[in-house]
Amino acid sequence: MLHHPQPHTFQLEVTINGELVQREIPTHLRLLDFLREDLGLTGSKEVCGEGECGACTIILNGQTVNSCLILAVEVHGAFIVTIEGLADTQELTEMQKSFEDHHAVQCGYCIPGMVLTGEKLLDRHPHPTRDEIKYELSGNICRCTGYHKIIDAIQRAADDRG
Amino acid sequence: MQFYQPTSMREFIELSSSLSDEFATFLAGGTDLLPRYERGQAMPDHLIDLKKLSDLYHINIKDDVIQIGALTSIQVIQEKPLFQSEFMALHMAAHDFAGAQIRHRGTIGGNIVNASPAGDLLPALYAFGAVLTLIGPDGERQLPIQDFVLGPGKTALKQNEILVTINLERTPYKSTFHKVGLRQSMAISVANLAFVYSEKNGVFDYLKIAAGAVAPTIVTLDKLTSTILDNTSTPEDWPLLIEADISPIDDIRATAKYRKQVVNNLVQAFLRRELTV
Repeated sequence: MLHHPQPHTFQLEVTINGELVQREIPTHLRLLDFLREDLGLTGSKEVCGEGECGACTIILNGQTVNSCLILAVEVHGAFIVTIEGLADTQELTEMQKSFEDHHAVQCGYCIPGMVLTGEKLLDRHPHPTRDEIKYELSGNICRCTGYHKIIDAIQRAADDRG
Repeated sequence: MQFYQPTSMREFIELSSSLSDEFATFLAGGTDLLPRYERGQAMPDHLIDLKKLSDLYHINIKDDVIQIGALTSIQVIQEKPLFQSEFMALHMAAHDFAGAQIRHRGTIGGNIVNASPAGDLLPALYAFGAVLTLIGPDGERQLPIQDFVLGPGKTALKQNEILVTINLERTPYKSTFHKVGLRQSMAISVANLAFVYSEKNGVFDYLKIAAGAVAPTIVTLDKLTSTILDNTSTPEDWPLLIEADISPIDDIRATAKYRKQVVNNLVQAFLRRELTV
């Protein structure tokens, strides 16, 4: 959470998970805090708060970004997908199922970021090598699993997509 | 904090000039700025976001030079085939840069203006002799990158002046980049090195080496490269010639001694490979 002695407000319009959201927000509000505190979208996590760990990863205009490093005012007019918006029904996506099947989740804190990073990777490279998966995941830190099962899960999701 | 997003250079200059006496800050990708606020640095009273200045995203490819808009993301530098074919060291530096989320957001201009001694794009830009175009209330001017970066976090930017274009001369030279960090990605460099060169039958006819994280700014190893080019040094002389241009410090990531050794090893490995000595 950032602070400013003289807060100003801004009329924000942004499309989040397919829905247009209009809110008056303080200009110094971080995007991550807007998602979690104002909208209750708590799937995006805060761990390091300085762009090192990837737990707050969201998709902004088609690209993975750290929502802790962006002010909410910067995304006026943008399109955002969070982990909550990944599946448009109650069903899990192939990627989420694959994480479950491979027991790629332990504490779960890093997983929303891992899943979103995996999804975007497969959008661009439908058949990534193991090294390409590792490279793409280098901005997402996991302190439980040791990564192998996460990489397995993304590899299998790619294979299942065909 | 008031927030502004000017959409033209004219609008930017009018706005920034009107705020000259105020506490105002310019924002590009934010990947270096936001962590500072997170650590408690005071946020400005006026934040001017440059990201709607659409001219600053263009990459112009001319016969003799390419002009890179300052807001070009690290990811675009990594992906664009032009960089891989003509400016390999810059491509490699962008490839090894942080993680995907930061590459999507961080900009080449931000990496330069941030003026970190360890900035990963900087050695390549020094080795390619990048010339920077700056625009401010007094008009436009150009500066070679080594005259722009004055020290850690310090640049030659005047008040209300911004970096708009990075100009790289197109040459037939080959290039490469090496980075040593405590981890392959997401780690600030212990040392990073760019080599730009042309070599025939084991003899260099062009050689420029730039090293990062081993001095207050990026340094070019001119004492070494000039004596190699005019054939007045032997491999026994190289370690002292290399150390003459660097001044590393001990910090949380590595000792000065280690940094010296890393630069020596990487430079000598490169020279021995190219010259097969």
